[in-house]
Amino acid sequence: MTLMTLSNNDYINSLVERWGSYSNSTNVAWLNQLRSEALHCVNKLRMPTTHMEAWRFTDLSSLAKLSFPEALLFPRDQLSELARFFLSESESEYRLVFIDGHYVAELSQIDSSEKIIQGNLSSLILSHNQIISSHLGKLAEFQDDLFTALNTAFIQDCACVILPRNVSIARPIHLLFISTQSETTSYPRCLVVAESGSHATIIEDYVATNENVYVTHSVAEFFLADSAKINHYRIQRDSNQAFHIANHVVSLSASSYYAGVNITFGAQISRFSQRIELGGEGAECSIEGFTLITGQQLADTHTFIDHMKPQGKSRQIHKCIADGSAHGVFNGAVMVRPHAQQTDSAQMSRSLLLTDKARIDAKPQLEIFADNVKCSHGATVGQLNKEEIFYLRSRGISESVARNLLTYAFGGEVIEHIAVPSLKAQLEETVLLRTQIA
Amino acid sequence: MSALLQNLVNQPYKHGFVTEIESDIAPKGLNEEIIRMISAKKNEPDWLLSFRLRAYEKWLSMTEPQWQNVKYPKIDFQDISYYSAPKPKKKLASMDEVDPELLRTFEKLGVPLHERAALAGVAVDVIFDSVSVATTFKEKLAEVGIIFCSISEAVQNYPELVQKYLGSVVPVGDNFYAALNSAVFTDGSFCYIPEGVKCPMDLSTYFRINTEGSGQFERTLIIAENGASVSYLEGCTAPRFDTNQLHAAVVELVALDNAEIKYSTVQNWYAGDEKGIGGIYNFVTKRGLAKGINSRISWTQVETGSAITWKYPSCILRGENSVGEFYSVAVTNNYQQADTGTKMIHIGKNTRSTIVSKGISAGHSNSSYRGLVRIAPTAENARNYSQCDSMLIGDQCGANTFPYIQVHNNTAVVEHEASTSKIGEDQLFYFAQRGIGAEEAVSMIINGFCKEVFQQLPMEFAVEATKLLSFKLEGSVG
Amino acid sequence: MIDQNSKTLLEVRDLHAKVSDVEILKGVNLTVKCGEIHAIMGLNGSGKSTFAKVLAGHPGYQVTAGSVSFDNQDLLSLEPEVRSRNGIFLAFQYPIEIPGVANSQFLRLAYNTNQLSRGKEELDPLEFDDFVREKMQLLEMNVDFLDRSVNEGFSGGEKKRNEILQMALLEPKLAILDETDSGLDIDALRIVASGVNKLTNKDNAIILVTHYQRLLDYIVPDYVHIMESGRIIKTSGKDLAKELEVHGYDWIKADQLAKSTESSI
Repeated sequence: MTLMTLSNNDYINSLVERWGSYSNSTNVAWLNQLRSEALHCVNKLRMPTTHMEAWRFTDLSSLAKLSFPEALLFPRDQLSELARFFLSESESEYRLVFIDGHYVAELSQIDSSEKIIQGNLSSLILSHNQIISSHLGKLAEFQDDLFTALNTAFIQDCACVILPRNVSIARPIHLLFISTQSETTSYPRCLVVAESGSHATIIEDYVATNENVYVTHSVAEFFLADSAKINHYRIQRDSNQAFHIANHVVSLSASSYYAGVNITFGAQISRFSQRIELGGEGAECSIEGFTLITGQQLADTHTFIDHMKPQGKSRQIHKCIADGSAHGVFNGAVMVRPHAQQTDSAQMSRSLLLTDKARIDAKPQLEIFADNVKCSHGATVGQLNKEEIFYLRSRGISESVARNLLTYAFGGEVIEHIAVPSLKAQLEETVLLRTQIA
Repeated sequence: MSALLQNLVNQPYKHGFVTEIESDIAPKGLNEEIIRMISAKKNEPDWLLSFRLRAYEKWLSMTEPQWQNVKYPKIDFQDISYYSAPKPKKKLASMDEVDPELLRTFEKLGVPLHERAALAGVAVDVIFDSVSVATTFKEKLAEVGIIFCSISEAVQNYPELVQKYLGSVVPVGDNFYAALNSAVFTDGSFCYIPEGVKCPMDLSTYFRINTEGSGQFERTLIIAENGASVSYLEGCTAPRFDTNQLHAAVVELVALDNAEIKYSTVQNWYAGDEKGIGGIYNFVTKRGLAKGINSRISWTQVETGSAITWKYPSCILRGENSVGEFYSVAVTNNYQQADTGTKMIHIGKNTRSTIVSKGISAGHSNSSYRGLVRIAPTAENARNYSQCDSMLIGDQCGANTFPYIQVHNNTAVVEHEASTSKIGEDQLFYFAQRGIGAEEAVSMIINGFCKEVFQQLPMEFAVEATKLLSFKLEGSVG
Repeated sequence: MIDQNSKTLLEVRDLHAKVSDVEILKGVNLTVKCGEIHAIMGLNGSGKSTFAKVLAGHPGYQVTAGSVSFDNQDLLSLEPEVRSRNGIFLAFQYPIEIPGVANSQFLRLAYNTNQLSRGKEELDPLEFDDFVREKMQLLEMNVDFLDRSVNEGFSGGEKKRNEILQMALLEPKLAILDETDSGLDIDALRIVASGVNKLTNKDNAIILVTHYQRLLDYIVPDYVHIMESGRIIKTSGKDLAKELEVHGYDWIKADQLAKSTESSI
């Protein structure tokens, strides 16, 4: 116990020691201030342990041993190899590429027109100081969260997307984070500001070139003003050896709509915490999650949907397939605050265990403080439906094929809702590969 | 309309009176001496004293749990008297000799004691501030070999049974309040159903906390041998006092092969006044061990009283094919708080569990369902179905659902559903348009909402529960 | 059936009502005598459903002016359940679902409450069961409906039949059918209409609130009233509905406009 505490602190200390050398202070005062405030919190906070309710099933002691430095710049002469991670609609996608945490302009493809503002923090911070400073770090609270604090203290760069009023962008915006180097820590950050009536599709994509061990502490903040609409596909396909601790916060103003799909395939330990604030009347969100893990992987999804104003609507489905000795954790909280009348919320968690070593911990939660609401949640954990297997077999399909088919269908349902064809095809292929057991 | 509903849910506490009986009260505070005193007063064997002392030692090393969704001022455990017994004027040979004041108390409570007990076919083991005063039907039960007595009597007369099972389901150091109870419990009920015996009647106990400032720490132990079955009813009322009283009971159930225990509770302890002053803290550990194959443990509870209710009647499903059930209605009003639910721990193969929880919140109250379903790696083909429904009356109250699901076996099927509803103005108008007044409409809707739970209660209890809910949520209109 | 000698059942004078500060009824006048069938027609939002709810005493509506006498008694001072017991029946446009409460239990309680208030005998569950089954045949309803929760999971047509079943049980003096035809297919419409026709007699009266002529082919009204902006703007015999079907509501409005222009000249 004492040893553990020591190594926990060592992890934080060793990262902090490097803060001075890596995070060169910028010439933007507010950003320096934000980072040093976050660093101050990092110094006060401790590594979470399984004694804390929010981390009961996710033991980070193996991460605590790995205080990797930030990565060096990727060799420019090998950049072309990375084009394989572009979507096949690459001609028609906007793209911001970060390699091991560093922005790479050569691979990025941004709109030169003023229709949307996108780019990395360094290139936008002077021209759009006002809008960036009034949003960055405002949603992702770091006072009590070590990993958000770490990311904020280490902000060097950030993928920024600003959608002006009533601008609707059909082309997907691909925020591509590529990990190439072993034993490194990166701090990816995304900021999306959708002004009123705007609409766009954002793909936040984490990929790796090799089965390396590396650590990612990511944070994303999405602001949706009145009547804005964002489709967000978050794909975590890290190396199976990696660690990925992510925090995502969405703020919804009146009548805005956030539709998120979150896919988790990679990392030996991953944690995705999402908080969605329905802070305006009639705000709506629909979130779908799909986790497909095997071997010794642990994937922990914590979501918190906060109905703060009347007439909000939320829909959530979370699905998990655990194979091998994998361990899936789902904690989905829905809060209906006083006066958030006529809230309409439905949540469903479904998990499938493919082996007798796999394990699932699910905890849906409803906290309701308004009386005129419609809320439901449901959770199931189990095997494939025996009746369905029998039905397929009775039509001449072998049992193993029937199982594969149904397992694929279980996860396919979420992927079905991804509206970017090439991305959908890629993910379908991965699911197909991973669910076919001879 | 909200004013109407407010009136509907405001109902004075019916059982608020204090019985004037001379009590034998221990000085306030807890230390080893007090424990030795309790043990000596009760003339206990050494093993029980060391059981108590072991528990006390554990308790000293523990801290009060903080994770529950209830708020209350810190309890001063040194400000509680741990022993309070009505002074027996003389040894009681028959019911006629029971203190008439006491009998009147029970009469006011509507306890079916005495002849009324016989007519109702209910055997009542009455607990009055921790000490068993009178037990009926003992002989009739003895004929079939059933032991039904106070736990103090059982310690004296059946020490080997008590020693074998006491603490076997809820260990002395299980949790803060269970440890406290194990150290200081003064009385409670003991029930033993021998092999193959189906208990011919529902066994019933009424608990009542009487002396102001006295904690109640009863201990209940029920054992059903192979093939035995019993239905046990527990009813609770307490008079009103302005200081909060602590109630930290422990109930242990053991069901062996093919045995069945059904445990029903209607809890209506004083809930505090409409401003939230006073009321009972009901912190209870109830747990059943379905030890044998095909055994079954069923908890049914209707929780309407107490300032704070915090309990999780649980089932450990160890035996193959064993079954656990939990049916609960929790009603909170004014400033009451309830954090209640169950734990279903599946260990044996083909174990099954069902959870049906209905929470009704009114006024400024807060009601939480908290439940754990754990499927251990050994629990092949385990099944669980949970349903948790909440109803809110008014917009100042809260209803929460926290189901924990832990599955470590891939042959398990676990299902959980939860929903929220309210008594809508439109529903009440629909009733009114058909000539049915609001009071009756509310009662009908609530009873419909709780139907699945009330169906589990024995007839007399179902009637009482329905009435209690009406008291709690109806009152006079306008 | 119009009979000048029958007694007046309902007398509405200059009725104004509002819901959350929006005035919906702006001076409704209507007289209904025993034995009569009145149809109130009008576009959505004209105030006809509000009028129905106000008569039944829905707490969401506030009467701001005017008077209603029913059976020679001031109706507006009575609680909704008392109006029901006195003989006002509203068949809801959207019957309310009441989960957990068995239909049979609800019907019996409603029936017995009304019986009691009329000084008549209550029925025990068994007697009531026979009685209600008989009434259900009238509406070609499946007895399974008795065991289900009130209106829960009922189709639109089933809900409407359940409403008319309640009308048959409670035998009201004045039945107000609010858009009872909406959501019904032609067979269900025929069944419901024939049920209503069997329940009419010289001592009771019916107000049909409807948007379409359709229902009036089956239940023939003695009077047709057109409602517009919270007032009855035209009253005529049954043929008015047919004209409306042909010409649409604009025809009435134009007609009214012409009249008002004339009068202002």
